[in-house]
Amino acid sequence: MVLTLVPDPRNSLCPVMPFVPFISVMQSVVEFDNVGLRYGTGAETLTDLTFTLYAGSFYFMTGASGAGKTSLLKLLYLAHRPSRGTIRMFGHDAVTLPRNLLPGFRRRIGVVFQDFRLVPHLSAFDNIALPMRIAGMSERELRGPVTDMLVSIGLNERSDARPAMLSGGEQQRVAIARAVIGRPEILIADEPTGNVDPDMARRLLQLFAALNKLGTTVVVATHDLHLLKEVEGAQIMQLDKGRLSDPTGSLRHPPKPLILNN
Amino acid sequence: MLLDFALPAHDRKIIPEGRLSGPMPWIIAIMLFLTSLVAAAGLTLAQAAQQGGQDLSRQITVQIIEADPTQRAASRAAVVRNLRKFKGVISVDPVTDSDVRQLLEPVLGADILNGDIPIPALIDVRFDTPPTPATLGRLRNVLGPVAPDIRLDPHSNWMAPFYQLMNMLLLLAGAMFLLLLVATCAVVVLAVRSTLNTHRATIEIMHLMGGTDVQAARLFQRRVALDALLGGCVGFGAAAITIVTLDKGFVAAQPGLLSGDALSVSGWVILALIPLAVTALAMLMARFTVISALKKML
Repeated sequence: MVLTLVPDPRNSLCPVMPFVPFISVMQSVVEFDNVGLRYGTGAETLTDLTFTLYAGSFYFMTGASGAGKTSLLKLLYLAHRPSRGTIRMFGHDAVTLPRNLLPGFRRRIGVVFQDFRLVPHLSAFDNIALPMRIAGMSERELRGPVTDMLVSIGLNERSDARPAMLSGGEQQRVAIARAVIGRPEILIADEPTGNVDPDMARRLLQLFAALNKLGTTVVVATHDLHLLKEVEGAQIMQLDKGRLSDPTGSLRHPPKPLILNN
Repeated sequence: MLLDFALPAHDRKIIPEGRLSGPMPWIIAIMLFLTSLVAAAGLTLAQAAQQGGQDLSRQITVQIIEADPTQRAASRAAVVRNLRKFKGVISVDPVTDSDVRQLLEPVLGADILNGDIPIPALIDVRFDTPPTPATLGRLRNVLGPVAPDIRLDPHSNWMAPFYQLMNMLLLLAGAMFLLLLVATCAVVVLAVRSTLNTHRATIEIMHLMGGTDVQAARLFQRRVALDALLGGCVGFGAAAITIVTLDKGFVAAQPGLLSGDALSVSGWVILALIPLAVTALAMLMARFTVISALKKML
């Protein structure tokens, strides 16, 4: 774990306390060390990845098609194990993590898939509620948050609609809502704005930024370079042929001190 | 595991439960129909073998071979008296000459029987427990002085091949029962694998959201249990109708060969438990199939 001193933005949100730039510990949530990934006996898709993601940070992952963005995201949301190297997640070795402990880690990660992966026979409401049900929440506990989420993504009138009855943009909003409903510690989104208009893309990024301000680490893979300007203080992870470059210096060891915006 | 059957309504929607829509309930109905018939046959045979075996193994027939009818009658009376005093004998029933003639007539013909052929005197004897060779030896010693030409025929001797055959049939019924259960399990495994393939994307999503193997297995268990229960009830119902109809048919065709209640109450209870047992077995198979398949996923 790398310790860095940063001002805590939560301080200014507290109305009863005067602003005191107090110091908190910046904690790593994901650490990759010399990670490589190959499928079968082919060449390495990802090579020598060494970086750290910090709690409460916002990362954009960019790169051309085939650069390895989706493969890296799969390692991040624990859909694959690397071929070599070590990955530490939430302070544990994720490579040797026993299979029966994986669900507990996955519940701390929200994922927006490029192809949405909504359950086709479930309504928008049930798709969004799925992670909460998997986590064992009762119907009474989840009804309020899911309804609020439907309102916030503008689909409260279509809560009973199945994915096939929703447009691409609506499906994407449902997929995002499903990923964020459980207030994950890490939110991973693969091209989350690919099917929505610019206005909706901006609103979705605002939603991600709001979650990020609440402490969620956000990783967004995107082709859309215009989005990079939408989130202040966001770091950029650029992938090129399976290797990571670090244009903002945030992934260095030790990282550049990160000043979070209030 | 059976508690997993009671899934909340919203969880049931994750894997759609198309009641009687697929082939599985019908295949299970057919398998259960055959299984119930085989089980009923096995139970009836076992029941008949047990009852008949118990009765017949305690009986012997005493034959007095004497050509002179007067002497034969005197010997029979003396043997009957001695038999009634013999320890362990609970009943002695002399067979009348007319009954013996009636018995032999289909084999020898009326003309021969009406001639000079001597007919042995027969006495049915029932013991409280199956007589041992030592008991029969003692009996022979007791009866020898009053009727030297005497033969003791334990019924177990001539019924032995029949009961051997019954035991073989019982084994066959048991083997068929087991084979049908194995085939039913195979059907369940194939159906679960097929459903798992159909819903692989949903299960993968559940996994990536932190769903456990057991959570996924529960969805399949419930679906399979419902199919097995529905199929089981249909199969058992059809088998019950068939058994009752056959039973009535047998009784009508050959009164006395079978009683109206060839299958006892306990037999019916066992038959009724088969669909439930198959449902539990199907749930177990579904659980193991799903969990072993999911273990191949990360």
